[in-house]
Amino acid sequence: MSIIKGLHIRTVIVLLFVTLAIVVTYNLVKPEQVVSFSSDIKPILNKHCISCHGGVKKNGGFSLLFEEEAFAKTESGIPAIIPGDAKNSSFIKRLHESDPELRMPYKRPALSKEEITLLTKWIDQGAKWGAHWAYSAPQEVEIPKHQETANVIDGSNIRPVNEIDHFILTKLEEQNIQPNALADSTTLIRRLSLDITGLPPSESLFKQWTTNKLSYSALTDSLLSKNTYGEKWASWWLDLARYADSKGYEKDNGRTMWRYRDWVINAFNENMPFDQFTVDQLAGDLLDDPTTDQMIATAFHRNTMNNDEGGTDDEEFRVAAVMDRVNTTFDVWQSTTMACVQCHSHPYDPFKHEEYYGIMGFFNNTRDEDTPGDEPVIKFYNDNQRDKIDNVNQWIEKHGNQQLAKSYKNFLLFNEPIYQAHLAEDFTNGELQDTKWLSLWDNGSCYLKDIYTQGSSYIYLKYWTNNNGTKIIIREKDKNGQILSSFTLNKTNGRTIDRFPLKSIDYKTDLYIEAHNSSLGPQQGTSSIVWFGFLEDLPGKQESGYTQIDDSFLSLLNIRTPTLPIMLDNPSYMARENRFFERGNWLLKGDTVKPHTPPALNEWNPDWPNTRLGLSKWLVSKQNPLTARTVVNRIWHQLFGRGIVSTLEDMGTQSEPPSHRALLDWLAFRLMNEHDWQLKPLIKDIVMSRTYRQSSKSNAALYNTDPENKFYARGPRHRLSAEQVRDQALMVSGLISYKMGGPSVMPPQPDGIWQTVYSGAKWTESKGEDKYRRGIYTYLKRTSPYPSFISFDAGSREVCTIRRTITNTPLQALVTLNDPVYLEASFYLAEQMLEKEDIREAIAYGYRRAMFTDISETKISELEKLYDEAFTEFNNDSDRTKDFLSYDATPTAKEAAMTVVAGAIMNLDEFLTKS
Amino acid sequence: MDNTERLIQEKIKREIETQTRRHFIKDCVAGMGGIALSSLFFSCNSFFDNKKGGKLSLTERDLNPLATLAPPFPPKVKSVIYLHMAGAPSQLEMFDYKPELQKLHNQSCPESFLEGRKFAFIRGVPKLLGPQAKFNQVGEAGNWVSEYLPHFKKVADEVAFLKAVNTDQFNHGPAQLFMHTGSPRLGRPSIGSWVTYGLGSENQNLPGFVVLTSGGKNPSAGKSVWGSGFLPSVYQGVQCRSKGDPVLYIDDPKGMSRGLKKRTIDAINSINKEEFDNYSDPETLARINQYEMAYRMQIAVPEVMNINNEPDYIKEMYGVEKGKESFANNCLLARKLVEKGVRFVQLFDWGWDSHGTDHSTAVDLGLKNKCREIDRPISALILDLKQRGLLDDTLVVWGGEFGRTPMQENREGKEQGYKGRDHHVDAFTMWMAGGGVKKGASWGKTDEIGFSALEGQVSVHDVHATILHLLGFNHEQFTYDFQGRPFRLTDVHGHVIKEILA
Repeated sequence: MSIIKGLHIRTVIVLLFVTLAIVVTYNLVKPEQVVSFSSDIKPILNKHCISCHGGVKKNGGFSLLFEEEAFAKTESGIPAIIPGDAKNSSFIKRLHESDPELRMPYKRPALSKEEITLLTKWIDQGAKWGAHWAYSAPQEVEIPKHQETANVIDGSNIRPVNEIDHFILTKLEEQNIQPNALADSTTLIRRLSLDITGLPPSESLFKQWTTNKLSYSALTDSLLSKNTYGEKWASWWLDLARYADSKGYEKDNGRTMWRYRDWVINAFNENMPFDQFTVDQLAGDLLDDPTTDQMIATAFHRNTMNNDEGGTDDEEFRVAAVMDRVNTTFDVWQSTTMACVQCHSHPYDPFKHEEYYGIMGFFNNTRDEDTPGDEPVIKFYNDNQRDKIDNVNQWIEKHGNQQLAKSYKNFLLFNEPIYQAHLAEDFTNGELQDTKWLSLWDNGSCYLKDIYTQGSSYIYLKYWTNNNGTKIIIREKDKNGQILSSFTLNKTNGRTIDRFPLKSIDYKTDLYIEAHNSSLGPQQGTSSIVWFGFLEDLPGKQESGYTQIDDSFLSLLNIRTPTLPIMLDNPSYMARENRFFERGNWLLKGDTVKPHTPPALNEWNPDWPNTRLGLSKWLVSKQNPLTARTVVNRIWHQLFGRGIVSTLEDMGTQSEPPSHRALLDWLAFRLMNEHDWQLKPLIKDIVMSRTYRQSSKSNAALYNTDPENKFYARGPRHRLSAEQVRDQALMVSGLISYKMGGPSVMPPQPDGIWQTVYSGAKWTESKGEDKYRRGIYTYLKRTSPYPSFISFDAGSREVCTIRRTITNTPLQALVTLNDPVYLEASFYLAEQMLEKEDIREAIAYGYRRAMFTDISETKISELEKLYDEAFTEFNNDSDRTKDFLSYDATPTAKEAAMTVVAGAIMNLDEFLTKS
Repeated sequence: MDNTERLIQEKIKREIETQTRRHFIKDCVAGMGGIALSSLFFSCNSFFDNKKGGKLSLTERDLNPLATLAPPFPPKVKSVIYLHMAGAPSQLEMFDYKPELQKLHNQSCPESFLEGRKFAFIRGVPKLLGPQAKFNQVGEAGNWVSEYLPHFKKVADEVAFLKAVNTDQFNHGPAQLFMHTGSPRLGRPSIGSWVTYGLGSENQNLPGFVVLTSGGKNPSAGKSVWGSGFLPSVYQGVQCRSKGDPVLYIDDPKGMSRGLKKRTIDAINSINKEEFDNYSDPETLARINQYEMAYRMQIAVPEVMNINNEPDYIKEMYGVEKGKESFANNCLLARKLVEKGVRFVQLFDWGWDSHGTDHSTAVDLGLKNKCREIDRPISALILDLKQRGLLDDTLVVWGGEFGRTPMQENREGKEQGYKGRDHHVDAFTMWMAGGGVKKGASWGKTDEIGFSALEGQVSVHDVHATILHLLGFNHEQFTYDFQGRPFRLTDVHGHVIKEILA
């Protein structure tokens, strides 16, 4: 006021006007910030608008999901958004309405002033639509340069070790958070070893490390080269692949899948590049002349469940399996929840309803049909049998052609293509036995529609029967059609594959099948047929040696071999029509849909075949925006317990924003372009960083600033996985078996866990070293998984598991305190501890074996006290000692007491945790 | 004070507690100097001191995932006992009285019922099968109940019937999953898991969600019907068994005394406390808490699972069979568990799949025996809950995964030697009893042969919505984010069945 005082009042007014004019002019001409669609606008739309104006609902005919929808005419007849003209856009006007019936968001709190300003500016600036960062391919990223600084707390140097640290430290500096110093070397080797091999370090490696014979880099290389590396990382992949040893659903019968599990372990150990790893699993069967390994890899998508329950519709569950393949493929490679799009356009991400069926088109032409035999399978012949197959092959190549040789080979290897019995329809006096196998009664008949016999002179049949003298007549078209084949089925010794002469026809037709056996009672099945097959005739009929080759072929067909379910496509004459399902309902079929990928992602290369093979190439194209980012994000999560995008299952508009987007892109770009998709160097990059090597110690200030550790001012600290908890106890006690691969094993579990409906399956406890195999080899029955693994958050793998939620429950304590497996491990650790004379020394030794570091004074005195009390108790009661240590013929109180101490060590938080 | 009022009071009290918890705990920790190792310590643990000064700000759930939470709306009941007759019981021999069907017995089923229909096992044109049980009107409400259930008349007036429930799954596995997880495919959380996740448990010495099975087998869909799906595994049902350890690994190893176990846990926890001072990781605190809880559970579980100490008149009332795995024993256990504050008790009784393929599955033979096995225990359960004042706080739900056809089954088109019925999804009976449920009500009507619903059709999702409603949830708002989207028990369906609410 004192300034104004003494001035003429008019001067004051003029001054005020001038000031005002300056302010207004400045505001008009100041450079305006350009509003970004993806970082400013899309989050507002997702939060407030899209639930009523998006994929599922389009209230008022207005949707904000896709660009063309947002600017299209609404029910009012004009578009709600007029680019460049916010004032006249009803989208903005409705935000300002005072009438609650009109004001948007309807019946929800109004938008904030800031939000409305942003939206207004965006429209005035032309309402530019933009793609989310996750939908354009990662580019080369400039690495921020972080200068070495001193830690303000202890004065130590904070020195970036590799590029990762530059990204992390720059961000920490922005956040004004001080990173931790490096972890001490013994903590670090345990962390690294658990992360790379799933196990604590071996004694010899530990010794080399602590005596400075190994650099950190050499230590990392050494761990990455161990076979245990593949076992550790395979358990991550098997969660994604929904690998299990049973089929799921009611019956949950066993399924021999372990060859696929072993393939994954080997692929990791051989450092197979991720692009090849992808192609082999999704489309190995479609490669030129695939190897057996490539066929095994395709079992990835045969881990889908199979329903053997009587009365279920095989087509329903075939479709369910195909949809699971679509969903899983996008869960695993694209961090995208396609399951939403099954029924409607994605509510948040740019994927349209019909695009789901475009992807489904790639998967919808496989041979599997939810049959109890899990066909198609690959048969594993022995060397001698393989030689015979080669002979058959050579014969056909010589007397026929390569193409024919291949169909014979495929028929021997896969028993495909075949027509499954469940295709039979229009029964008279007959039925599908248990809705699975064709069973005609006396004078029974049925149809097989639309069959192509390839001009074959034989019909192949897989069947079994206990009756002699059943006459089967097969006619063309219907009961009045010409007889194509007529033969007698006699009692078989179990299931058999046989062939019978057939009139050769070279076009598609319906087959009418009759059965006659008057010796049977009413409603009694004559035989049970599993499938029908046709094969062009074996060439060289006139040549000598033909009969031997033909016999050899027939006997090979009937050889029972181990098998594995695999993927195979239908031949063209059996191709399945891929149709759109209204609202995701498989019974409401719409138009046919050609296989195609979502246009929001990378472009399709016309050179790619329009099959699963093309799809897999599209996924591992360097232009695909999501595959590499997904892989690096999940590997980062394996090591740090948190993804750079923390929502591992979702990388798109609805995901958490990445904590370090540039780092994510740098890693993704490097994986593709410098590491050629190899994962070992990617893992090495991460573990070499100072960020990874930091101490995981926290404190209240650090914790409260960043409870989730998303800025990485401290190293990772997490409870071990279910498998690791077991493997570590076995290793520390010396019980562990390092035997690799082979059928899954059944370590001891309490009685009465398996109660299977209608199945004789039993948990037969493994013997010898198989009792002590690594967790990855434990038999997984989906409806009844190994109980202690479930307690420690392993899943039952019915569907793809992207991450396991880590919980902390009393049931876990009960497992490690009371499960005989852990008691036995404690005993064997105690035995080694007792090699030291002195009790204190023994305890210190046991602790060091478990934790790879020296025990503190308070801890040792606590455990010594426990030992003394336990010793007194057992010493006073030798029966108790005997009960407690049933492993030992002559147990002593000393052993019992030390077992209690060893058990306590193996229950410590620090033991169950990677720090 | 009536029950609702009491529950409202409780809720208000809890809310005030939550609001003031932070202050309370701050004082508590400061007052105790922040160092102690006892249960008391963990009752006041939102702010946690670590040695190096400063406090971690944590919620109660960070340390104990089963900590009690108030539901968003005033609840009618606090706990649920869900009785599932696995295999699907025949409504036509139990609760849905169809005299007309009797008249049409043995006649061919009209084509109109069969057109465009698929059954699990019925083929061609089956014959109608009249009800094999006699029915009487019971209680003041006069609802019809079959003679197969003579004891049930004592409690019929406590019950609200749903006579026209439908499902869209006609095979056991998927239908059971649908009934318990809201989806026929594996991978979703069961209703018990949802409820335990939403409310926690009142008793920290027992699991919050307990499963008891009888009939010799687990349900067809296996343990997934009480699985936690994408919810943290701590919310999955814990199967308490009558044989072997009641809960897996609950027994101490042979030769280990309780005292020594206590000492062991004390040593572990004291070392873990040092670890916490070092690392300030709240997971370590949670682990200390869980080890204490495990120790308490080891006492509490065998105690609650032991029915021998119950007075004789109670044992008789339920028809308890000593040392056996029976539905009667499980009903008594359910009452004990609910009394102790367990949130959700799920009973499965196997053996209700009355296809008529043999004696045990004939609707006039085996089914009668199955009814006898459950009749007394169920009536006893409701009466016992009532006499203890627990029925007002508890919801009892009864049902199967679907119903059975009014037609005689003709598996694979053959005539069968026994009377049996195929799976039927269009209309079947369920009932509820307890707090908030209209006593003696009956909602829904089927046609004269019991094939289709005429009115009051309700879906599985509606049943779920109603159960959640009674527990104080709006089923549309009770969600969990997974794979990038919010999930609900009722997916995008479900309406609360107001007609059976008091």
